[in-house]
Amino acid sequence: MNKAILSILGRDRPGIVAAVSRALTDRNCNIENVSQTMLQKEFAGIFIVSMPPAMSVEDLHGEMTSSLSPLELHVYTKPCEGGEDACEAENVEPFVITTKGPDRKGLVAGIAEVIARHGVNITNLQAVFKGGNDPGDNIMIYEVDLPSTFDRSDLAKDLRAEAEALDLEISIQHRNIFEAIHRI
Amino acid sequence: MLTCREIISTLEMLKSENLDVRTVTLGINLLDCAGKDPASVRRRITERILGLAGNFVEICDTVGQKYGIPVVNKRIAVSPIAVVGAALSPEHLVEVAQSLDAVAREARVDFIGGFSALVEKGMARGDRALIAAIPEALSTTERVCASVNVASTRAGINMDAVLLMGKTVKRAALLTADRDGIACTKLCIFANIPEDIPFMAGAYLGIGEADAVINVGVSGPGVVKKAIERALESNPDMDLGNVSELIKKTAYKVTRVGELIGREVADQLKIHFGVVDLSLAPTPHVGDSVGEIFQSLGLRAIGVPGTTAALALLNDAVKKGGAFASSRVGGLSGAFIPVSEDLNISEAVREGHLCLEKLEAITSVCSVGLDMVALPGDISEETISAIIADEMAIGVVNNKTTATRLIPVPGKKPGESAYFGGLMGHSTIISVNNAAGDNPFIRRGGMIPAPIHSLRN
Repeated sequence: MNKAILSILGRDRPGIVAAVSRALTDRNCNIENVSQTMLQKEFAGIFIVSMPPAMSVEDLHGEMTSSLSPLELHVYTKPCEGGEDACEAENVEPFVITTKGPDRKGLVAGIAEVIARHGVNITNLQAVFKGGNDPGDNIMIYEVDLPSTFDRSDLAKDLRAEAEALDLEISIQHRNIFEAIHRI
Repeated sequence: MLTCREIISTLEMLKSENLDVRTVTLGINLLDCAGKDPASVRRRITERILGLAGNFVEICDTVGQKYGIPVVNKRIAVSPIAVVGAALSPEHLVEVAQSLDAVAREARVDFIGGFSALVEKGMARGDRALIAAIPEALSTTERVCASVNVASTRAGINMDAVLLMGKTVKRAALLTADRDGIACTKLCIFANIPEDIPFMAGAYLGIGEADAVINVGVSGPGVVKKAIERALESNPDMDLGNVSELIKKTAYKVTRVGELIGREVADQLKIHFGVVDLSLAPTPHVGDSVGEIFQSLGLRAIGVPGTTAALALLNDAVKKGGAFASSRVGGLSGAFIPVSEDLNISEAVREGHLCLEKLEAITSVCSVGLDMVALPGDISEETISAIIADEMAIGVVNNKTTATRLIPVPGKKPGESAYFGGLMGHSTIISVNNAAGDNPFIRRGGMIPAPIHSLRN
């Protein structure tokens, strides 16, 4: 299958998804997955598309850039490798790591480094730093998948030590608690 | 994907609103430990409990850590000892209580309930022996809790048992006179006792229950209070219908937490999950009080006119939200008003907003009854029995559970302070009005018959 990943970045405004999808359709590309998000006023979208057999990733990049650069959107492309859902093999338990504390440089780097050192994959990260010392204004939420055989206590100990060094309050909780409380 | 708001609101409930699982209670059936030889009964009871509860506390702590929810108390409830020890003498039953205490300490649980008898229709030999053993059993142990069911809607009120319990309460207080009668904080007298209460001092494992079962008591008065305050801040004109909706939603969340934890503890112990008791159970800490909810609703204090209506609203909304959250609801399920265990309620007594009569009135619309009420030390046995009888009548006629946990504090008078410590808290001793003279009504004994179920007015 001839697939590519496109990443689109630009100042957010109405019509970005419409413009990207129209440009793809006009070039006979099929969208398989899309995820978009907004950070402050910036748009970021990732599209996985299947291309016609004769089209290369470089062709697609050129075409999309010419369509989207008038809208001041930046396009990045790369070939999409491997099969689908490659990371579903292992039995994992979803946990949520949350930190609160005064803003300073290196908070994400510090916590993410501990998570990486334990070989744990971050499946979702939301972080808001409004600055200042109000802990409620500076929050990081990491969703991670821990293999069910994984010993959580070592990771928890290292995370707590790092959080203390960074002056953060940290919680490590199984995701089900949030679903139990908020979802019917 | 979880939203930021969902995660932050959960953390708020945990960190600043005192959301916790108040108790996970392991029910253990001891009926086949019965026998005539006291030593072998005690040995079998000890082996059975330790066999099932060996790693109970550790599992509760691990599950609590996994979800970031503290399981504050781990407790054990056993089959009524009046049945298990029916062949034993009061002296031997005191020894059984001491064995239970030792087992509770070894299993690291803070209380063990089930030193209990069910006598609503009559007293058997074992029941009499157990009631006779209660004062010494509770004054020579730390963790054993006793309960006696003296009335039910189907049977009526066993007034002989009520009279006997007045004496038992007084005796238990005198045996612990140096600690403000603390033995009485571990003794509940019930009408319509449920078989699956996880909360102490009333927990025991009913005769109709399985070999072992996990029951969970959730709490969360602080969460309800904060939810009301937040809502009224953003909408000061909110009416009571909407307040009730809000309490329902909050009770739903709290109950779901309890069920999640209870089911996982039960799975890990490989035993059966029983019920969630969705009660608002306070502790003697600011921000974890049922009394404060009344102030959030706009009453000056619990006890002032309007209190009964506010409590009726609160209790009903908690039940409705909880019943939607879990299909396994049982126990007492409602708002507790234990005077000494709730800093705000205890304060309302001290300031004179809440009197014994108003307390009794509000127990007709909530669980559980006259709970943790410190009485003057010179109160007569008959007056204690008469207060018990009144509270039982409310339960029997309204087809609900009511109970008393009365503490006649030796040597102290109304207005003085009694201190019980820890979760039991402290309280101002409440006046008992119109109690002078004797009370031939109470001494007549016999049964007050079960109430009629038609012609309800």
